[in-house]
Amino acid sequence: MIQKVRVQTSGQQNIKVYRLEGISEKEAKILAEKLLAEKINQKYSINQPITHLGGVKAHPPGGLGGVTTVEISYKPGVMNPEVASIMKAASDLGIKLLAADTSVEYTNNTPIFNPLTEHIVTEEPKTLILEGKTGKTKIIPIRNCSDEELMELSKDKLFLNLEEMRTIQKYFQKMEKDPTDLELETLAQTWSEHSGHKTFKAGLIVDGKKKEPLIKRIKKEALKHNKNIVSAFDDNSGVMDFYDGFAICGKVETHNAPSAIEPYGGAMTGSGGVFRDIAGTGKGAKNIASTDIFCFAPLDLKDKDLPAGCLPPKYLLKRVVEGVRDYGNRMGIPTNNGSVHFHQNFRARPSVIVGAYGILPKKYAKKDKPEKGDLIIVVGGRTGRDGIHGATFSSGEMTDKTKEVNASAVQIGNAIEEKRMFDALLEARDEGLIRLIQDVGGGGFSSAVGEIGEELGVSVDMSKAPLKYHGLAPWEIWVSESQERMVVVLERKNLKAFELICKKYNVEYALLGEFDDSKKLKVTFNNKVVCDLDMEFLHHGLPKKILIAKNIKSHPERAKRVEGSVPKNEKEWIKEINKIVSDGNVCSKEPIVRMYDHSVQGTNDLQPFSGVSLDGPNDSPVLRPFLDKKYGVVISHGLNPSFNNIDPYWGSIWAGAEALSNFVAVGGDYKNASLINNYICPFPDEETIWATDQMVDAVVDLMKAFKIPVISGKDSLSSTYRGSDGTIIKIPPTLCMSVFGKIPDASKTVTADFKKTGSTIVLVGKVDNKNVVPKVDLKLLPKTFEAIYQGIQKNKILSCHDVSEGGVITAIFEMCVGGNMGVVIDTWEVSKPTSQVESLFNETAGTFIVEVKDEQVAKQLFSKMPFKILGKTQEEAMINLDKLFNVAVRDLKKTWQKPMRRLFHET
Amino acid sequence: MKPKVLVLKADGTNRDAEMAYAFKAAGGDPEVVHVNLLRSGQRKMKDYQVLALPGGFAYGDDIVSGKILAIELTAFLGNGMRQFIERKDTVILGVCNGFQVLVRTGLLPFRKVGEMDVTLTNNDSGHFECRWIKVKLNEKNNSPFFAGLDNQIIWLPVAHGEGKFLTDEKTLKKVEENNLVAFRYVNEKGQPTQKYPDNPNGALNAIVGITDTTGRILGMMPHPECFVRIEQHPNWRRGSVEKPQGLPLFENIVRFVKEAKW
Repeated sequence: MIQKVRVQTSGQQNIKVYRLEGISEKEAKILAEKLLAEKINQKYSINQPITHLGGVKAHPPGGLGGVTTVEISYKPGVMNPEVASIMKAASDLGIKLLAADTSVEYTNNTPIFNPLTEHIVTEEPKTLILEGKTGKTKIIPIRNCSDEELMELSKDKLFLNLEEMRTIQKYFQKMEKDPTDLELETLAQTWSEHSGHKTFKAGLIVDGKKKEPLIKRIKKEALKHNKNIVSAFDDNSGVMDFYDGFAICGKVETHNAPSAIEPYGGAMTGSGGVFRDIAGTGKGAKNIASTDIFCFAPLDLKDKDLPAGCLPPKYLLKRVVEGVRDYGNRMGIPTNNGSVHFHQNFRARPSVIVGAYGILPKKYAKKDKPEKGDLIIVVGGRTGRDGIHGATFSSGEMTDKTKEVNASAVQIGNAIEEKRMFDALLEARDEGLIRLIQDVGGGGFSSAVGEIGEELGVSVDMSKAPLKYHGLAPWEIWVSESQERMVVVLERKNLKAFELICKKYNVEYALLGEFDDSKKLKVTFNNKVVCDLDMEFLHHGLPKKILIAKNIKSHPERAKRVEGSVPKNEKEWIKEINKIVSDGNVCSKEPIVRMYDHSVQGTNDLQPFSGVSLDGPNDSPVLRPFLDKKYGVVISHGLNPSFNNIDPYWGSIWAGAEALSNFVAVGGDYKNASLINNYICPFPDEETIWATDQMVDAVVDLMKAFKIPVISGKDSLSSTYRGSDGTIIKIPPTLCMSVFGKIPDASKTVTADFKKTGSTIVLVGKVDNKNVVPKVDLKLLPKTFEAIYQGIQKNKILSCHDVSEGGVITAIFEMCVGGNMGVVIDTWEVSKPTSQVESLFNETAGTFIVEVKDEQVAKQLFSKMPFKILGKTQEEAMINLDKLFNVAVRDLKKTWQKPMRRLFHET
Repeated sequence: MKPKVLVLKADGTNRDAEMAYAFKAAGGDPEVVHVNLLRSGQRKMKDYQVLALPGGFAYGDDIVSGKILAIELTAFLGNGMRQFIERKDTVILGVCNGFQVLVRTGLLPFRKVGEMDVTLTNNDSGHFECRWIKVKLNEKNNSPFFAGLDNQIIWLPVAHGEGKFLTDEKTLKKVEENNLVAFRYVNEKGQPTQKYPDNPNGALNAIVGITDTTGRILGMMPHPECFVRIEQHPNWRRGSVEKPQGLPLFENIVRFVKEAKW
């Protein structure tokens, strides 16, 4: 028997529906009154339609009386996070529920809903308990397959190429058996681009010349600069030294494929995944910050330009922001750095880049080697059918059918599950119980267990994994990417203590198996062997590739700047500046930032916005991870898809310089920084590999110039769209550079808002006016960074902002917004009209607008590099460029704030 | 001896460390205690003088914010809570999610465990808001925790999606007549305001937080525990504030329980 309770909140049209199974109507009434509805502003009904509050006439479901209602609920089997809470509270009230579900009834409108996870309820469910029989393990006869049959097997499922399929065929011929479906799935996901990083490991022939594999070049240069490295490239995040026996770590991930088809769930699980990377570093780290960077098509994209099977950018942006908000805020991890970028070629596949940073005692920063007999335990969420084929799916190109075929790749997150798991794991770490800890992410158990067992060999029983519902086949349990799960390795003697901690925090756990020294990956299911693979073949059997890279010189996006657009008079100047500050890449993102909790943990000593009206943007957050100590962590990033599309080398140099400039502008010390590089590219064809090669050259040159290492990163080489009408859309090959580092005193930092009237404003650094993608002088830049750092340390710099998208004028304008004051710029070059435009709108990364007391200070600080005194700050909030224009900061601010305010419905 | 402070933690609580730090900075002896340890009897309320309910999303804020934890507290710890508040030397502080829990247990405003008279509901803006706001003390409130907080604009951060104080007219009148309002959202002139974003959620009468009639139970939406160091303020570099304005509240609470007799 299911009791149906409807609850309506005053002022809202929608009705919340609770279905409660296994209780009487009387018990349902108790739950309605004590748990589900609050009499101050809510009304409820049981097993009958609800009357509107305020005496509006009642209406029956289905549409009689001129009122239509539509009920939307999660599809059966999709996890509804609220259910566990309802069951718990009911039990606390002494009522034993068998099952429960929630949904929403909409009156007179059908809302937008996601058919991948939700459906319209057309008939009353008879039961909420999902039944199902465990699926069987199949043997796949591949030993005698033809090439065509091998490829048919791979298509839409394994995403492996013919050579790889043949290698697998040969292995099983040698083993004299056919593989199980589970063995094939294991190989497919271990060898996927997502997990195997085949392109980055491949030998290269670039424009006819042989070059070393990309990853080798990055590592080689990085390890030369190892002063601060605790661990690089071999854990779930990169770890660098901090103070007092602690280390800090960082990881940046992309979550493009899921976010393209289900942005809300995609953003949630992207965040959840990168937080687990931090929690799964060494023996476990505490998350201290989260960053979010998005790339979309321009928000005014016309419907006709939207490729088939793709979602509009406005919808994507809103839902992605909501996903980040609902997951990050619940985790209690401050989201305090991010950006949004727009480019036409993200219209089929957006990029959602999520980062997380953590802290941990150095003694727990490295994983112990497991020993024979050590236990493998899964903790956290249960396993379901969600997220099956996520890793292989994200490695494939997207087509207009992607949404339909890969519905199971969509996952829904439950932040509270992850939060309590982290609480428990950190306590277990501090009790010294953990040997190592591993995230269960892409590829599920297959990847997590396969990786930790690589050297020794493991044996696990998949029938022990806690399931969300029955009916999964062993291979599905094995590769499912259900969220909020981690694998922990313990010595057997620590099991009891570990169990107690899990119970204290309401965290579920299960013993899956143990390490042996078989050098094999052995999986059983109810005592039947379903996988028996050699670790050597699994991890090293993937054929090494040689890839060809070619510079396609006729690339369409060159020299886009329109000539002759020099404003003729004040009116035109003001119009042009308004256009720039309202551009999506430049406009204020405050409404987004305000929805993210950036104050939780109380660590933020330099916030995303500051200034008189708290609306002046800053370049990087500065955190104080220990509330009682002064040590600071600075986090920043930089990327420019448009520049990278034109010139992947100089675009990437720009990205690196921009990331470091953001870092330095607040008072970061670049000499104590570490880099994280993310390559977000189309599917690796010859042109893309060429671009990626250029990007890696740029990254190596950046490391050389600044003598600091890349210590983590990720490639995501799949963002190509193929429509059935022949349309091919490739995203710009984008390098996202993230920076994190340490400073001894978090209070020796500055914000970007102008502080005083009558101060001198200086443009510091070398400006490149000649190239469409400004070329950054890497020889000079370390000196500029050092001068800024020293100026801030000595309290000589009152405010500082780096020049980036929107150019010099935007940087000055944003500083005026923060300071609620104006500037008089009186020494601007007026010789040539074009040079005015170029100087004012110049976007050379690595240049700064700096506020100092007077000219004398500027001359002292910047004696070794180019700088230009621009003028002075003034009380009147006007930007006054002598002889060109005089514009009110307030008016520009309105234009600058409008796009995101409008999108997020703020008035 | 430093007074013992129980900082209550449940699944999804996430401002426990800051709360504990604030009490420590104010001279208290805080301990973060999971609610399961109270249920199992491994920790007992009678051993503490302050019960602090920090911010977060207890049990995901499912159904409505703070509901599941409020039910757990009233169902399992109702007697312990009643005994706790009957002592004269105890304090309960609920911040943000903790305030949401307190109104749903019925402890605020009228100390009626299990009966709810006011609510904290969805922000008028319809979404989560993270920003610094200004509040002013209701000087008629006689709680012993507010010494030194009168006659000034106090900056504090808010970070919530369900913070709108709401009740019926009769109850609102009773709350006001008994001077139970602790703080109100104000504009730059220091006047109570209903205007967004100075009033970030649309709370009736700009109510930020309330106490019970004894003044020993206090609930509020903003986070005083996140303004106990000057550098936590976004404009400390501009000299906009002179000292951390959240700290005095904790110092006053610690002083009160030190001096109070059972």
